[in-house]
This record gives sequence, C-alpha cells and structure tokens, in this order.
Amino acid sequence: MIFNTPLFFLFFAVFFLCYGFVFLRHKPRVYLIITGSLIFYGAWNYHFIPLLVGSAVADYFIAQAIGTSQDPRHKKRLVTLSIIINLGVLALFKYADFALESVASLLNWAGYPVAMTTLSWVLPVGISFYTFQSLSYTIDVYRGDMKPRKGLAEFVAALSFFPQLVAGPILRARQILPQMHALNWPSWLEAKHAFLLITVGLIKKTGADLLAVPAEAAFAAPETLSTLEVWTGVIAFAGQIYGDFSGYTDMAIGLALLLGFKIPLNFRVPYFAISPVDFWRRWHISLSSWLRDYLYISLGGNRTGHRTRNVLITMLLGGLWHGAAWTFVAWGAFHGVIITATHYLGQLAYFRNFNQSTSRLIKFFKWAITFYLVLISWVLFRAENLSDAMTVFLDMHRFSESATLNIQAIVLFGIVCVWILLTHVMDHFVIKKGESLTQQPWLLWPLLVLGQLLCLLIGEPSNEFIYFQF
Amino acid sequence: MSSSTSNSKAVNGKILLAMILVMGGAVLLMRLLYLAMGADANNIMGRVVEAREALPQIVKEPDDLMIFFGSSMVEAGFSPRQFDRELRAKDKTVKSFNFGFGGLNPYFQDYLSRRIRDEFLHNQRRIKLVVIEFNPFQTTTTRWQGANDIVDSFLTMLASDAELWDIAQKDPERGALLFNIKYLRNDISAEMFSSYIGRQIFPQPQPIKIEEPKELIELRSKAGQQLTERFEQDYPNYTDADWYYPWQGGGTIPEERSPETLEWFKKYYSTFQNSANKENARQRRIASADIEGLHFEPLLVDSFINIVNNFQEVADHVEVVIMPRQVGLINYSEAAQTRLNKVVAEIENATGVSIINQQELPQFTADMYRDATHFTRYHGDVEYTRLTVETFAHYFEP
Repeated sequence: MIFNTPLFFLFFAVFFLCYGFVFLRHKPRVYLIITGSLIFYGAWNYHFIPLLVGSAVADYFIAQAIGTSQDPRHKKRLVTLSIIINLGVLALFKYADFALESVASLLNWAGYPVAMTTLSWVLPVGISFYTFQSLSYTIDVYRGDMKPRKGLAEFVAALSFFPQLVAGPILRARQILPQMHALNWPSWLEAKHAFLLITVGLIKKTGADLLAVPAEAAFAAPETLSTLEVWTGVIAFAGQIYGDFSGYTDMAIGLALLLGFKIPLNFRVPYFAISPVDFWRRWHISLSSWLRDYLYISLGGNRTGHRTRNVLITMLLGGLWHGAAWTFVAWGAFHGVIITATHYLGQLAYFRNFNQSTSRLIKFFKWAITFYLVLISWVLFRAENLSDAMTVFLDMHRFSESATLNIQAIVLFGIVCVWILLTHVMDHFVIKKGESLTQQPWLLWPLLVLGQLLCLLIGEPSNEFIYFQF
Repeated sequence: MSSSTSNSKAVNGKILLAMILVMGGAVLLMRLLYLAMGADANNIMGRVVEAREALPQIVKEPDDLMIFFGSSMVEAGFSPRQFDRELRAKDKTVKSFNFGFGGLNPYFQDYLSRRIRDEFLHNQRRIKLVVIEFNPFQTTTTRWQGANDIVDSFLTMLASDAELWDIAQKDPERGALLFNIKYLRNDISAEMFSSYIGRQIFPQPQPIKIEEPKELIELRSKAGQQLTERFEQDYPNYTDADWYYPWQGGGTIPEERSPETLEWFKKYYSTFQNSANKENARQRRIASADIEGLHFEPLLVDSFINIVNNFQEVADHVEVVIMPRQVGLINYSEAAQTRLNKVVAEIENATGVSIINQQELPQFTADMYRDATHFTRYHGDVEYTRLTVETFAHYFEP
C-alpha cells in the first residue's frame, strides 16, 4: 500500500474516522495505531509482521534491562545483544546473498571456482529504517541519553507507526516515544500545514514518476543516445530520486501531523547545496544524522585524528545501507572521498578564502561543482553495475555521434531542469513561508485543489517508491 | 465530554471535511476537463461501445447468426452484408456481424468476448458460427508493452464490476485503482492522460519515413475528398456511428455505389501501391508490433485461448483463422515461424480447434492491401469475404 494510491486514501480515511471520532481514549488509540500499522505493513507481505514486532519487543525489553542494570559491563553486553539482533536480521535478509556472491566471485577470480547457493530471501519492506530506529533506542538508553520508557504497546506503536514505517524518516525513540505517550491532537493550523505537505509530496512524487522515463532510457542504453540525452537522463534521475524520496517523506510528515505527530524535516533543498558536506546536511537528514550520532561519533568523530578514516567508513557503510551491491558501496565511497577532499581543501589558506567568500559568482561556482559531483554519484547509485556506471559516465563526457541532437532532446532537457528547479523553489517556499500560507485560506485551498488535480491527471504506471527497496 | 475532546473532534471534523472537499474539488475539475476534451469511453473506443450496445438487438435477430471477431484486419476485410447476400444466393439465411476492432489486443478482446458471451447466455441464444481471427502480431510482447499506458482504462471500459471485484480480491491495491478509474475518473487513468499529453509534446518519431511521390499524395488527397463528398450524397441517413447496425458492423458495399465512385475508389487505392508507402507501413508494424520477429507474449496467448473458450460457450461452431499476409512485404524469420508454429499448436491443444492458416493464399495479391496488413475496400475485402463464404458456408443449412 503506497501513499499515492486510492487504496491508501481509503485506508487512511477509515483509519482517521476511527482515530479521530471513535477511539478517543489513550490505550485504544495506541492499539489502533498498532493495528492500522500492521495492516498497512501486512498489505505488502504479512509474513514479515512477526519480524517487525519481534524487533520491537526484543529492543523494548533489552532497553528495560539496560535501564535497571547497575553493571556497566552487563549494560554493554545488553546493547551489544541489541546491535547483534538488529544488524543480524538486517545482514541475514539484506546482505547475506551479496556476501555469498562476493565471496564466490573472489574465489573464482583467485582460481578456486565454487558453486555458491544463495538464500534468495525476499527483503522485508522498510527493514533498514525500522532496525535503525529500534537500535537508536537501546543505544540512547545505554548512553544515558534517555531513560527506558514503560509501555510495550507504545513502543511497538512508535516503531511500527505507518506514516514513516517503510521509508522513514528514521525517527529517534526520544522524538517519537514522548509523542506516542502524549497522543496530542493537531491544531487546525497544523492540519492545514499537513495538507500542504501532503500535496507538495504528491506533486513531487508524480513528477518523479514522469522523470523515470528519460532516466530509464539513459541508463538502459546510453550508447544509443546523444550526449545531451545522457545528461538529461542522469539529471532526470537526480530529480526522480529527490521527488520520489522527499515526496514520500513530505507525505509521511503530513500524514503524521494530521494524527498529531510532529516529524522533523528530512530534506532541505539538497540540490542547492554548495559543498558535499552541505549536501549531506540537506539530503536524507534523518539518516545522515543517525550515521553521525551512532557511527561516526562512535568511531571517534573529529577528535581522534582519524577524521578521514571515520568519514570514509561512515560513508561506505551509509552506501551499503542503501543496498547490497557494489554500486552502493562505490556511491558511499565516492561521497566519502569528496567530503574528505572538501575537508582537506578547507584547510588550505587559498580555499579557506574561497569558502568564506560571499561573492555570488563563487557561490554559483561552488554550487555547480557540488551539483556535478552529486550527479556523478547518482550514476553509481542508479546503474545496474559498476561497468554500466562507467559507460554512462563516459557517455556523459564525450560527444556521441551515435544519435543526432534534435529539438525534442533540447526541450526535454529544459523540462527536466526546470522541474527540478521548480520542486526546489516549491520546497524552499514551503519551508520558509509554509506557515504564513496556511493562514491565507483564499490561496491555500485553491492551491491544494490544483495540486491534487495535477496529481490526479498525470502519472506513470511504474509508481513504486525507490526507497522502499532499502 | 471534556473540552479538549470536543475541540479535537471539531478539528478532526474539519480535517475530514477538508479531505473530502479538496479531493472532491480536484475530481470535479478533472471531470470537467475530461468533459471539455471529450475524453470518455465513447470517444476512445466508440466502435467497441457501439458494438456492445448493439448486442441486445443482435440476440433478438431471428436468423442464424454469424460473428467474425478480431482485429482491424477483420474490420477492413470482412463485409457482413456481402457474406449474407452470397449465402442467400445459396438459399441460406444468415445474419452476420463484423466484430473487428482496431487497437484491441487479445487481452482486451478477451473481456469484450466475455460481454458478448454474457449477453447470449443471459438471453439463452446461440450463435451458429463464430470465426475468430488469430492475429500473430497482435499477440507479441512489443504489442503488449505498447499498450502499457491504456491497460487500466481499457480494462475498466470492458470489464464488468464482478470481474473488477475478482481482481480487487486478489490484489486490493489494483482493485481500488480500477474502481477509482471507473467511477471517479470517467474510465481515464492518469497513465492514459499523461501518455496522451506526452505524445502531444513529444510525438513518437516514425522508425523510418520514405517520402512518397508527390503526385500520388496529391491524387490521394483529391480522391479522398471526392469519396467523402460522394459518401455524404450516397448515405444521407448515416448516423456517424463507428459500428453501424444497418451495415452489421461492416462498411459500405460496391453494389450500392455508382460506377464513377468505384472508379474513384480504384484511383484512391492505387496511390497506396508504391514501395515507399508499403515500406513505411512495414517499418511501423515492425516497431509497434514485432510483425516479423513474432516474440509472443504468454499473457496474450492465454487471453486468446480464453476468447475461443468464451465463444465456445455460446456458439454451435467456433473456427479460428490466421488471415492473409502480404507475402513479399512481411516476411517471417525462421525463428519467428518456429515461434508461430509453437503458439498455434498451443492454442489448438488448449481449445480443440484447428487453426485455418490463410496466410499465404495466392489469390491475395499486393494490390489488395492498402498498407502492410489491411485489405482495400471493394477489392481486398470483397475477395476475402468471398473466401469466408467458401470456407464456412457448409455450416449453414438451406
């Protein structure tokens, strides 16, 4: 069940009727959230519901035990157990086949051919999101950043909360658990803001589905396209993944807000970034801050003199989090390298001046370089394998004579670029002026109706969300 | 009730109302836009809708019934009134109908055949003979992929609510989408709309386009204009229907036309007899339907088998034909021929019907086709209808 479908609309309408009008006491509302979330999750594959609930129950009791234990070594053993359970489940479902295939390839390459049987298990939807979310709870309790909270049902409801269950944002326990305990109702102003976010999310998602067409063409057969068409495809993919993922999280934030839950922003106009570091402060903020707090800082962060190593490990694992393939590892490594390079250049006197310059021209230059690097990284992310990524990369940088340039290609390039710019301008406006817009009903409601109309009118058949696979 | 609960109920009520009004407003605007554009089932598949609406009248026909069911090749190639007349000359009284439709691959034809079957079952009426065209290039993966954007819309136009409900039980997400398309979106899916808009902005380039001689194009235009004017004079009562009941779903027949008009027809079709036009048409069919490679889509083959089974429920006799192919222009590769033989065997095994292969009959010459696949009017269609009479007359008793 995905947000931009009639079935989800029906589901949410029924859920909202029950939540807002029938089950008004605390306990029934918590159980309703659990029931609704499990129905939502089970619509994909109900076989994985025990895994989700099991993770929640295990981490709930581990956190309770950490909280009551006075022995630091016992606490450490408990948090290690939580890490093993969560990462073990993730490794088994997501990375086992990748590891087996990689070992087999390595042995074949070394002259010891082996026939390795893979598990070929179905990847549970959203597993990377909810395991990280659950893990953050036990680590926070272990670190003393929060006390374990009583109420298993509230914890299960928080972990399985359907608006953000399958594609984030990755919420920390300290963000969601107090809200699950309080179960506040939204104000009318918040509700209007929620409608705005849902509509903006839908528009971005609808645009993303259309951008998938030129992106698919470029990555399927780049050799048949002109250089401009390959660039169009790569930029279209940048727009697709942004619209797809940020659109989803906008809808998730909006839906949660309609139920009274406040979820922080996950994207902050990322393609306006003017350095790779800046990009990661704007892109998938909940993941980058999770990796920073629970991995980068655990490795020592900036303090130990191993910043480069720590950045590279964090970004490599961040890449691997996205998928079990060498392309994702390369994508993470590439970001690790460009972040490290940015740090290094920032230490040089000349570049320090360059970095601190307020000149618009220099800012534009920094933006252009950053956007180019991000585009290159998306080639690694989108390609089926590293060899395909190299083909697309080379086709972007040499004049192709295999296809003639035509007016349609130029128009398409223009449309793709303008759409990405428009979505960013729209997001910027919602972040900066969203609240004041909600106070102008004569503008808000017509805009919402027109936004919904646009999404009703246009669409593409392949409307899965990219980030569900992670 | 506490004041916070009553406040929350008020806000929740406003939220619910806003959801209904925003979505309702958007749906209303969408319906108005479709209305302004004329985007509805009647305009998109008018011939199919009209044929389906004619079914209650067809089941009441007193004579033995014959239906020729298939693609646009049937639509262009079979003349029901000629068929009836030639059988009448053999003292056999039959009412035949042309159920050939362009743009429907076997997946959609399956649903249409169910509607025909249901009507006959409901009225406890039987069809004496159903001839079904198996069209190899309508059954290819390329053809199926080309229909990607219209599948949901066509399905909602052709399927019954019970069939949609069956889909919904197996796949609630798809079922909800289909009911939404049917009852809120006026049968127009977002995919169909956006692909229509996309084609306006980015017209599909033709695979190749060989220029035809200018004088032939001018003559075609002039002859076309003449034929339009003569049609309006000859058929003042024609209702502009795509599937016209008085003509039994077929077209006009030469016996109703003046010698001058027939001469114009000859001139008109002669302009298509040039290598550039034929090659352009061939290339279009290769690109859109894999007509020479014939990589079959299993789903479409299964759908075709369903069509035969559907008609077997209501017909005394069901025959399957593969209509003549313009040999010399459309040539199968060896692998394509092998694939075709395999699919033919599969259909024959599944239905118990032997397929009549008319593909390479020598009497159908290149000048009987107006493009790569369709017969010309008053020449190719006459010859093909005659063949149909010869092949199937024995099913009808004097």
